[in-house]
Amino acid sequence: MLLQQLVNGLTLGSVYALIALGYTMVYGIIELINFAHGEIYMLGAYMGIVAFSVLTTFHLTAPSSGATLFLMLLAAMLFCGACGVTVERLAYRPLRNAPRLSPLISALGVSIFLQNFVMLAQGPRDKGFPHLFIRGGIDFPGGRISSIQIFIMVTSVLMMVGLQLLVRRTKIGKAMRATAQDKQMATLVGIDVDRIISVTFLIGSALAAVAGVMVGMYYGLINFFIGYIAGIKAFTAAVLGGIGSIPGAMLGGLLLGLIEALGAGYISSEYKDVFAFAILVLVLVFRPSGLLGADISKRV
Amino acid sequence: MISRWRIGFVTAGTIVVLALGQAHAASGIKIGVAGPITGDQGAIGEQGKNGAIIAVEEWNAKGGVLGKKIEVVWGDDQHDPKQAVAVANKFLNEGVAGVIGHYNSSCSIPASTIYHGGKVVQISWGSTNPQFTERGLWNVFRTIGRDDQQGSVAAAFIAKKLKKTKVVVLHDKTTAGQGQADEVVKALEKHKIKPVYYGAITQGEKDYRPVLTAIKQKNPEALYYGGYYPEAILLTKQMRELGMKAVFVSSDGVWQQEYIDIAGKDAEGAYVTFTPDQTKIKEAQGIIKKHKERFGSEVGAYTVYSYAAANILIEAIAATKSTDSPKLAEHIRKTKWSTALGPIQFDKKGDVLVSPFVVWEVKDGKFVEVR
Repeated sequence: MLLQQLVNGLTLGSVYALIALGYTMVYGIIELINFAHGEIYMLGAYMGIVAFSVLTTFHLTAPSSGATLFLMLLAAMLFCGACGVTVERLAYRPLRNAPRLSPLISALGVSIFLQNFVMLAQGPRDKGFPHLFIRGGIDFPGGRISSIQIFIMVTSVLMMVGLQLLVRRTKIGKAMRATAQDKQMATLVGIDVDRIISVTFLIGSALAAVAGVMVGMYYGLINFFIGYIAGIKAFTAAVLGGIGSIPGAMLGGLLLGLIEALGAGYISSEYKDVFAFAILVLVLVFRPSGLLGADISKRV
Repeated sequence: MISRWRIGFVTAGTIVVLALGQAHAASGIKIGVAGPITGDQGAIGEQGKNGAIIAVEEWNAKGGVLGKKIEVVWGDDQHDPKQAVAVANKFLNEGVAGVIGHYNSSCSIPASTIYHGGKVVQISWGSTNPQFTERGLWNVFRTIGRDDQQGSVAAAFIAKKLKKTKVVVLHDKTTAGQGQADEVVKALEKHKIKPVYYGAITQGEKDYRPVLTAIKQKNPEALYYGGYYPEAILLTKQMRELGMKAVFVSSDGVWQQEYIDIAGKDAEGAYVTFTPDQTKIKEAQGIIKKHKERFGSEVGAYTVYSYAAANILIEAIAATKSTDSPKLAEHIRKTKWSTALGPIQFDKKGDVLVSPFVVWEVKDGKFVEVR
């Protein structure tokens, strides 16, 4: 049972981590809690279904092939990336120099807008997600790890490693880190800050899109409201790990997933959120900047 | 300072305009129709909405009631108790003659207090929690049965028909879901069965594998879930994915085609307690046919319930020639109604006297009544 719960928790945790990355990257760079981020994740899930229907109705790819899966993810990433950049351009950039509360309210507005837009455009009913994975997986003593769980974990790890490489090893990553540290100085050394912020939104939203499609397949059921709970959980994960810190978001996500799974499995599923949030409070009391939050500005 | 005065004037002006608008609109007889029209249970809200639409359209085609047209005031509670209270207050402000709704017990119960305070009759078309009518309010009625009736049917089915003794009972922490689960536990006791696991899940979440993994350790033969179809879909799928073989038994909130459509093969062999097949009720044939013509689809699980509730309210207005709530309530309570659900009579509390819940099975992608 312990192994099974670890598998459950790590799967859930890697999804939280992917969404948390978007929160933390945006916060790191413009100190805004982007409350619309959960909605971007929801849009990703819907885009996955749309891509799947287009691909299969026009017989472009076989329904349960790797190509379909890849194209679904790609379409969702591109669409959500574009949405993220647009939201930033329209709702946050004009408020760049406004008091900090204004973009926050704007973010809430975007979130409500997107939720209601999808509800009206796609209907309030639950939508079934296509089955792309064969039921099955690897059995081990005390449980099994299904093919989709393996897929989620592997994809998340690849995404996170890719992101780390991008931020640490590339020129654009360097520019992102510089912007996060000091926007004015970054401008002085010739960095186009607006462009870097757009790129940050693009990457964060694309990661959320991947999470959306994977979760859609994992649960087989989505609706316009899934962004709300996922957003809150991912935000918690980001704060737990130290908001603004990329490795922190990954750690926070995985931890939150594990705490929830173990709490639900061993203590009580009714109280699992209580444990998750109690641990958050404890961490914040003893380490106000989160688990890995302190070292963000030191390392460049 | 000036700007503050100006805001004051504008506000006062707006209020006057709104008040005039309201006075002007009060030409017909208004009835409120409430339910989760949007939100996670929008599918159910739509069923209630459609039933009320057909009832009101039929009456208006005959010239309305008391010589006036009937106007529907919609109240979307989004399956949210706070929203339900807001809807209830809106209805009182609009001056409705009565309310058809709400659906969720968690909404109907808080809203009923407001209706009681405002002296408005409320007929729910889907709230099954006993508490709805157990608080001695004179203004509440329901056209559906109660969870204690539903729970004892489910428990007897598990114990006698399925002959399962290792039973898990889960609920979704809602008024209705937990109520049903508790009634099942009580009823199972009578069959000398004590659940091997009793617990709850959180509505709106998507991953129930952790709690199911814990349940799997108990090797249950049957799992009873008190709740609604969105979570039931996930529970069913995730149970099977974890390799659990336990029979899935649930309540009326799961009797939805969506449950089968989305859960697919995993739903096969699941059991749900619900009222007997409506398509076989003689009196319901009219609305079933009209629904097809008007909306192009078959009636949903609750359409006939809201249709019957709306008709009872309007007929009571017609018979008493008044919209005075105590009079309406008295008339509704003492009359033997013939409705689309068949004959209905209410007891003192506002419950239907006879409510036969039966068990349905998912077979080849359809709900089939178990004989």
